[in-house]
Amino acid sequence: MAKNENVKFITPAGIEVPPPPHVNKPKSQYTAFNFVNGFIFILVCLIILIPLWKVLIDSLDLTSGYGMKLLPSKFGLDGYLSIFTNKSLLQPLWVSIYTTVAGTFIGLLLSTMGAYVLIQWDMPGRTLFANILLFTMIFSGGMIPSYLVMRAVGLTDNPLGPILLPAINVYNLVLMRNFFEGIPKSLFESADLDGCTPMGMFWRIALPLSKAALASIGLMFAVAYWNDYTNFKLYITNRNLYNFQMKLRDMMQSSDLPEAVGGATENTIRNACIITAILPFMVLYPFLQKYFVKGINIGAVKE
Amino acid sequence: MASTTSNGTIQVTKKPLGQRMKKYWGFYLMFIPVLIFVAVFHYAPMFGIRYAFYSWKIIGDPQWVGLANFEKLFSQSQFTVSFWNTIVFSVVKLVLNTGMAVLISLLLNEMISLKFKKLSQTIIYLPHFMSWVVTASVFSLLLSPSENGLVNQLLIKLHIIDKGVYYLADKGHWRTWYYIINLWRETGWQTIIFMATLTGIDPGIYEAASIDGAGRWQKMWYVTFPALGNTIITVLILNLAKIMNLFESVFVLQNDSVRRATNVLQTYVYYQTFNAGASADYGYTTAVGLFRSLVGLALMLICNYASKKVRGRGIV
Repeated sequence: MAKNENVKFITPAGIEVPPPPHVNKPKSQYTAFNFVNGFIFILVCLIILIPLWKVLIDSLDLTSGYGMKLLPSKFGLDGYLSIFTNKSLLQPLWVSIYTTVAGTFIGLLLSTMGAYVLIQWDMPGRTLFANILLFTMIFSGGMIPSYLVMRAVGLTDNPLGPILLPAINVYNLVLMRNFFEGIPKSLFESADLDGCTPMGMFWRIALPLSKAALASIGLMFAVAYWNDYTNFKLYITNRNLYNFQMKLRDMMQSSDLPEAVGGATENTIRNACIITAILPFMVLYPFLQKYFVKGINIGAVKE
Repeated sequence: MASTTSNGTIQVTKKPLGQRMKKYWGFYLMFIPVLIFVAVFHYAPMFGIRYAFYSWKIIGDPQWVGLANFEKLFSQSQFTVSFWNTIVFSVVKLVLNTGMAVLISLLLNEMISLKFKKLSQTIIYLPHFMSWVVTASVFSLLLSPSENGLVNQLLIKLHIIDKGVYYLADKGHWRTWYYIINLWRETGWQTIIFMATLTGIDPGIYEAASIDGAGRWQKMWYVTFPALGNTIITVLILNLAKIMNLFESVFVLQNDSVRRATNVLQTYVYYQTFNAGASADYGYTTAVGLFRSLVGLALMLICNYASKKVRGRGIV
């Protein structure tokens, strides 16, 4: 807002007049509105945080009687010890880690290569390729035909299934293409004149100039893989291949819990599992927030 | 290839197709992996749609039944319930989430302290990164009727209820909590797009409004809110186009006691196929899936048309 003190009010005839009353009204920061507004946001933040806080303290509490409290009444890390000493919980964690790493890598590779081809405006067949991809966004075979195909190609009960299937994400590919479009064409043209191959331009120009977009889209892939439940539920029945989300869901639904270490109760272990499932992103999130936000803005606000 | 002639007009002369394709051979090579993935995971399943016209219990061969699956589908009350649930859940959720996100964005925009604004944004985006399984786990503990359920304990302390209610096992309560949980998880994330629009408003307009004597509320109502109008319509159109995709959020919050009343098309297909034992008819569930895909396609085309009318470009 303007610094109103410096505004001079001069009539068309050149006579300086006193400013209208509302212009010089002192603008206090301590208005009732600002207090109420601040209060509303404290409330909103509490509504978001209280459920998570409750899970966190219950995961550190070794008593079985719970209820409403701010801090654990009997503090102990036994819930987490039970997870990290138990093979039936470590195995799903390991599955989550390797599917996330492999999937994000393959997903980024496919998105960037596809996007790079789609910005070659003079290439014969470019429109056809774009339409082949876009059609999958508006029509799909459905859950059962997909399952039958996955089964026919041997990707059910195979960790490659949940790694490969989400790796082709047309939405992310289009985001990447939007970003590549912003790279000046002259860069590619001069590299072409210098005898650079298409693959060389991809590795030496397109990718190095897109680090921020790579971070954003890579994070979107990573979150999707770490949080994946649907693809595991549909294509994996072998319990040894469950990821952590599947295991967590299983534990929430049954009393078939892994053996507790020390004073951990069933509830402590359940809560500790929830925290373990969100921990990687909670730790990294404050540092990566800008990339997440950038990701949604490349696509959505591009008008 | 374009070349400029001496009088400044641009002449477009295309080389023969073969030559141009040769120039781009490297790019075609790069696109092969993408094509293979799309073919296997998106186009191959489309050929499976033919099973919608067969009866197939997975053991033995599919039997041609013509349109019998579709006749069966429209006579099943479970199908009708699932179809309407899909529409109602998605639309109510969309309206609630968008309305709340607009409200929060407007208030966030009025925040004086930048530090507090940033902190609030960081916190309200947070739940979006938790999987639906985690969200469902957190809330099933929070809403549990035992002495551990925070919500029940709070209501008992306040003497609103006498003993714990199992909110997620009662169909009336289940819907309410489904919407609340969606609000909790998605409102913050949805504000990003509205905040981006709000920061794009020219501060000059606010200054002009101040000089004309507009107060805070008038500025909010006459400047900020209209500026959001287009974004709100865009968000509604984009989301309306994919309402038939509803699956995971409902699936993980369901339990046996509310399943029949809260099924949506995707969960109906899942249970009819994978939880029905030997009676599972893959042909019938493919038909349900095909119906869902076709409604989804129609919605997509309608929304694409609406989007072209409203903002001058399509959504795909």
